[in-house]
Amino acid sequence: MEAFWQGIDNLASLPVLVAILIGSVGGLAIGAVPGIGPAIAIAILLPATVFLDDLVSLVLLLGVYGSSMFGGAIPAILINTPGTPVNALTTYDGYAMTRRGEAARGLALAYSASFFGGCFSILIGLSALILFGPYLRDLGALFGQRDIFMAAALGTVLLIAAHRRSIGIAALLFALGALIALVGRQSLKQIDRYTFGVDYLYPGFNLIVVIVGIFAISQALFLLTGKDADPPEARLKGGLLRGFGELKKHPLVAMISAGYGTIMGVIPGVGEFVAQFFSYSTARAISKAPGKFGRGAPDGLIASEASNNAVPAAAMVPLLALGVPGEALTAMMMVVFFDAGIKPGPDIFENNADFLFSLFIALLIINVLVLVTLLASTRLLARIIYVPNRLLGAFILILAFVGVFSIRNSFTDCMFAAGFGFLGYILRRLDWPLVPIVLGLVLGQIMVDKLTAGSSQIRTVYDLVDRPVAGTLFVVILGVIAFTVVTNIRTKRFEH
Amino acid sequence: MKVAPPPPALKSATTSTPLRVRTNTAPLTSTCPPEDKIDLRDVTDFRRGRGDLIFSLFMVAVAAFFLIFFFTQTGWEDRKLPANMAKYWMDQFGITDPDTRPARLGRILKQGWVAPMAVLCILVPAALWNLRSAVRAYRWRARFRLSNDARYELRQWVRTLEFVGWFVAYTLLVPVLGYLVSTMLLGTALPWRLGYRGTRWMRICAATSFAIVLVFRTGLQIRTPVNIWLYDQLPQGLSTFLKVWF
Repeated sequence: MEAFWQGIDNLASLPVLVAILIGSVGGLAIGAVPGIGPAIAIAILLPATVFLDDLVSLVLLLGVYGSSMFGGAIPAILINTPGTPVNALTTYDGYAMTRRGEAARGLALAYSASFFGGCFSILIGLSALILFGPYLRDLGALFGQRDIFMAAALGTVLLIAAHRRSIGIAALLFALGALIALVGRQSLKQIDRYTFGVDYLYPGFNLIVVIVGIFAISQALFLLTGKDADPPEARLKGGLLRGFGELKKHPLVAMISAGYGTIMGVIPGVGEFVAQFFSYSTARAISKAPGKFGRGAPDGLIASEASNNAVPAAAMVPLLALGVPGEALTAMMMVVFFDAGIKPGPDIFENNADFLFSLFIALLIINVLVLVTLLASTRLLARIIYVPNRLLGAFILILAFVGVFSIRNSFTDCMFAAGFGFLGYILRRLDWPLVPIVLGLVLGQIMVDKLTAGSSQIRTVYDLVDRPVAGTLFVVILGVIAFTVVTNIRTKRFEH
Repeated sequence: MKVAPPPPALKSATTSTPLRVRTNTAPLTSTCPPEDKIDLRDVTDFRRGRGDLIFSLFMVAVAAFFLIFFFTQTGWEDRKLPANMAKYWMDQFGITDPDTRPARLGRILKQGWVAPMAVLCILVPAALWNLRSAVRAYRWRARFRLSNDARYELRQWVRTLEFVGWFVAYTLLVPVLGYLVSTMLLGTALPWRLGYRGTRWMRICAATSFAIVLVFRTGLQIRTPVNIWLYDQLPQGLSTFLKVWF
């Protein structure tokens, strides 16, 4: 409990509270604009975090991460365009409500379900920390270098398997990301890898340069060359406070959906999409009126919003407990940990337990702040939907420069970021996923580091899997691969 | 001199009365509401379009590039491996009994070329597998007479280079004119180029650009180029002020 109070104490400073406020409100606005997601905002903000305190940086990014999906529900419900991709299912029942003239009801339900989902996973995380905190400290002994290597390998396999229709592309881009991370001088043996005698390449590519290029600049280019959307005018009448009353009528759906979000968030590489599918299907299966799903069913909306908002807090678990990010946003947050000199991993329970509490309590504050902001200013936020896309593209390009240049004062960084941006643009045009590149950069580096660090204990190939955790994870990896292969063969047979 | 009268203009097909279908039937109406629901398959599904084959070929070239330079750019030349690798691996997996104490696997894994080789073991097959899928999709499109013409896609890619150029120009302009002036310039010129013209748009864009400078440079003190040509031309006091805050 001492760490808990220390965690609260860490948050009680003006810069941290201001960062929480800016992150939450900024994330809401970013989520409400179709075209920019939290990944782009975090990519742009990352370099700024170098100049900020560790906790300030992290709560700022957490604010954006935790609140963007709340904001994404606004255009999903009002104009049938999800603000962030994970709000796609919200359009099913949310927009149907708007067409019936119940936009305010839809928004109220979305806010209450999102708030419930978010708080559910945060409270589970906090309870686990309080109840099992003393035991979690022993995790450090349980997880060695080889175990974390195996956990990162499992994350990789899950990430690739999750791209069911484009497994080859996901594997290709993951490997490309990992290879980009390998460029430069290997510190252990002083061997230059793919440097070709170019001075710039000796320290390797900066992670932020690649992330800003792939996510922010590519999105700017995509918006600049596209057309301005002409969304229909949304009318909003009625109060937004009655959502909790309606949520109380569907406790089972809310609990199941938040539970799915929490579980899927913990598993690396799975995330919001799978959580939504599972919770939406379950909600429809247990509903007394499944025919109403997709036609403005309140339980459908609850299932979608409660599950996707339960993910952010849960997604912090593999990042903090194992140092293995499960998706792009937590991979970007990993950069802040690198800069701060904090090593996320099992040892964090021993060395920085108060820091963990601070993060989860900050997430709770973010959820409350976001709810209050939404109830007070939805009408204002709804106007953000109409900001022209191409104008946004122009300003993302301007912001990207600050992001890249400020890292090392290097114009070459800016040129490479432009190159990665162009690559990302082509990937976006072809509908190839961007996330595997970033996770390849981060997870690839983690795997190499852990394998190198644990190499002194590897005498034979069996030493890689002879520890309880590593062995279990290896079996899970084999299981995931077998399951993916079998389902793919079955799908192909069915299609033919 | 008598000038021959001009020949009568040829009546082309295009000048004739256009074909109009007149019908007395009532316009088609439907009682079904428009289906404007987002199809979730669109979000999660993946379909290869035009340009995919070209980019897949490019990715094979990238994989081949890394593979070719693996032998000279990863420390492979200085590798330290057991003399008989086949026997070593059989010993490792317990298929055969080692004659002498085998070299520690960890010692091999530590070498610089191991990680690139492991990654290439995924990259090269994945690139080839992806190319195969791209070729199959290309043939499928051709079979169903869907357009495979990638010129439109390529034009889009080339068109984007204009905005990459804007970004590069901005990057080069900052050390000359300073962060404030360059940002204001790009923040108004690029929207102008995009068609957001008129006083209202320009005011909005200038204000937004100024706000970006205020937040990032003045507020957060994020690093921007220091040696600015324009600032050096100004009086000492103003120059220092601008260098510190803008």
